[in-house]
Amino acid sequence: MSEVRQQNISKSTVPKIAILALAIVFAAGLFVVGFDQGHIFSVIQGVDAYEELYIHELTHDMRHAAGFPCH
Amino acid sequence: MKTLLFILIVLFSGALAGTIHGIVNLGIVEPHLDEAIGIENQNLFASGEEEDTPQFWAEYDAYRDWQKSGQVLAGTILGTSIGALFGIVYAFARHVLPGSNDLKKTLLLAGVMWFTLYLIPFLKYPANPPTVGDGETVVLRAILYLSFIAISGFGAVGFYQLSKRLKQNRKVLSIVGYAAFIGVTFALMPANPDEVTAPMELVNEFRIMSVLGVTTFWISVAVILGALWHKTRPDAEISTR
Repeated sequence: MSEVRQQNISKSTVPKIAILALAIVFAAGLFVVGFDQGHIFSVIQGVDAYEELYIHELTHDMRHAAGFPCH
Repeated sequence: MKTLLFILIVLFSGALAGTIHGIVNLGIVEPHLDEAIGIENQNLFASGEEEDTPQFWAEYDAYRDWQKSGQVLAGTILGTSIGALFGIVYAFARHVLPGSNDLKKTLLLAGVMWFTLYLIPFLKYPANPPTVGDGETVVLRAILYLSFIAISGFGAVGFYQLSKRLKQNRKVLSIVGYAAFIGVTFALMPANPDEVTAPMELVNEFRIMSVLGVTTFWISVAVILGALWHKTRPDAEISTR
């Protein structure tokens, strides 16, 4: 007579696709809040973005508060 | 591992902890930012670049309100970003972290990452409020800060790998090794080139609040991810036999 049992086993393999997705989120988020000086919006706005610094100004307070060099 | 569940709880933990960080900063950091920007405004009036008029203050207040809302939004974005790194490291380190449950493990890992990726670099390159900082040196300062974070983080990973090859009673040598390594790096890295021109009392109070805010983030992300991991078990798979 067969016995069916269910159990939780812990698998240590971490999916590569998850690591890739999270690494992209990490790098993109860090750049936006910590380092963008108009680079991202320059794709749409051109050189004006480096003058307007929209993301820099929006993230300005957290940039200071989290210890990133701001200006 | 349940890939989508893993990604979702990691992103949610980081976003929520980051939002908490932003809201906490509104209360404890913003008064110091306002004070520092107030000094900048007085400098603008003194130099004649701006005039001290009701119109100036109306525009200034509206702009600062917008920037303060950005503090919370930036907290969410930054939290999601740092939370993603935390999730990656936790997924790899969970099975070797000491602790009887996920919450203890996440808190321990967050403590290590807070120390190596934030506190050590902060001691060398502490946060500064507005009015401090020369725009001409911002790229150099960004490179120095990021480099030190990377050196400290990879150094910690390297010495952990070394500790795995040491016998149990010698594992403390890896901690001593990291301390010596980071001490030498600390001494060799160039100092922040900018002079601190703001009152030191303001700068020091701002720095203390900055540390408290970031520490709140690391505790929050550990508690939230630890609780969610324990509840959802993304690493468990149902096997039938």
